[in-house]
Amino acid sequence: MRRRLAAILGLGVLIASASALGAPPSLKPFERGTWQSVLRGHTGRPTLVHFWGVTCGPCKVELPLLGRFAKDHPEIDVVTISADLVPNLPAATQSMLDKAGLSSTENFVFNDGFAERLRFEIDPAWQGDIPRTMLISREGAITTIEGSAEIADLEKWSAQQLSKH
Amino acid sequence: MIRTGLLGIVACVFLQSAAQGQMHGKHASEAACEEPTLRCATKATPAFGPDGTLWLVWMAGGQVSVASSQDAGRSFSVPTQVTTTRLNLDWGPDARPKIVVDRKGGIALAFSTFRDEAFNGQVLYTRSADGGKSFAKLKPITANNESQRFEALALDQDGTVFAAWIDKRNRVPAKEAGRKYEGAGLFFASSRDGGATYTEAGLARDNTCECCRLGLTFAAPGRPAVIFRNIFDGGVRDHAVMTFTDLSTPGEIRRVSDDDWQINACPHHGPSLTVAPNGTYHVAWYTNGKARKGLFYAHSRDEGRTFSAPMALGHPGRNPTRPYVLAGAKGTVMVWKEFDGETTSVQIATSRDDGETWSPPKAISITTDTSDHPLLVSNGGQIYLSWMTKADGYRLIAIEDQP
Repeated sequence: MRRRLAAILGLGVLIASASALGAPPSLKPFERGTWQSVLRGHTGRPTLVHFWGVTCGPCKVELPLLGRFAKDHPEIDVVTISADLVPNLPAATQSMLDKAGLSSTENFVFNDGFAERLRFEIDPAWQGDIPRTMLISREGAITTIEGSAEIADLEKWSAQQLSKH
Repeated sequence: MIRTGLLGIVACVFLQSAAQGQMHGKHASEAACEEPTLRCATKATPAFGPDGTLWLVWMAGGQVSVASSQDAGRSFSVPTQVTTTRLNLDWGPDARPKIVVDRKGGIALAFSTFRDEAFNGQVLYTRSADGGKSFAKLKPITANNESQRFEALALDQDGTVFAAWIDKRNRVPAKEAGRKYEGAGLFFASSRDGGATYTEAGLARDNTCECCRLGLTFAAPGRPAVIFRNIFDGGVRDHAVMTFTDLSTPGEIRRVSDDDWQINACPHHGPSLTVAPNGTYHVAWYTNGKARKGLFYAHSRDEGRTFSAPMALGHPGRNPTRPYVLAGAKGTVMVWKEFDGETTSVQIATSRDDGETWSPPKAISITTDTSDHPLLVSNGGQIYLSWMTKADGYRLIAIEDQP
């Protein structure tokens, strides 16, 4: 019985995987509670979380640089969260991520009409300015960079994270 | 072991599919509904007419509509739709349709749309000469087709309409010359015919912050005054006021406060300005600078040459945002939003001595879902809070204990 179940599930995986072949991971909805699950999901791993938005000029400049950084640093988990105030646009968001070379990172888009509440869960002091980058160490210490991050600072942080282990 | 792994993969695939379905389906909205009605509005802006009629312009369901109320917002007339097709209206947090109503009852409107997939904006305007029954065909406020957003309108005593907005046209020659271009220009135009036609656009100041609302009023007849987030040397996005010499002559930049907020980002959080009948400038703003962080208030009694020491507003742990200040004949009122993680409140403080001292803040309205910025509007005697909320609809609340 268990074997049959596993076989059926296995078939389901094959079908689902085949249909998804070649397609980049899709945008995930960022909702109430998502922030805590992101933190839990990356516990013990150095993680860079980048908040941006499709209408934000400085974000458009920074995003491709971040794409390059992610490619050069597979040891760092990179998570992007499109936090432009609603209505966030999945198609425009995905297109900009693709162009920036961030198709295969873990990408979220705010998906709650109450953006203030989502932001409050992340950082009660954050008023919505973007871009914004949070660097989370293996130990869970969070460093927040407001505005565009300097790639040199990200490199330095990344090197520190690796040298500890 | 293998089975667990497979189950894990199955779960991942299904979760991913569910998320994909959700993202491609209807998006969670800040609107209560999708029709053009007031109940579905995400942004609503009020103005009183000369006869005490309250006029409201709002955006809902991709359309801009106007209605009036004779009973202080309890009921509204059948709305007049200003737009004829669903538009990609500027939904940015600091965007909203603007309205002024002149002494003859003429209504001038302006609002922004996103005109392309790169989110370049266009400011459109229109006017009603028949008491809001109909509006003229929408026209762009400037012939330039680069990008404009964050328009503001102000009405002079003689009926002149003054418009200011943020305009990115100067990034084109900079790019062609290989020069770096920061922010956007603060542009302006005026209308002597109640908002039917506007003068050619003029530049008040280049390289200002490109993503914050402006505060605009008349400091004296013929002399518009604007507050904006400027970009000072070193990329410091602090606030400045400018008082025009006349409708076509920008004045000098006067810094409101040295907050030292050096940031290359979109704060999405613009300031508020009102000028009292005695000429005092009252300003309120948000900063996250090295010198101070949060919401602040200050006043100037010399047309912005010097400002009082910034006074912090609100409870620091409750994310105070969106300040709005309005001076009336009898005193000054200030509102802002606070949020405790579940409930948003509008806090109010009043001053009876032209901004020297303020009453302790108190909540005058709350809501438990998303909400528009709190605005203040005066009919000449009474000041009201105007607040659009998703859960509870539109609210107009008389400020009873105003000075």
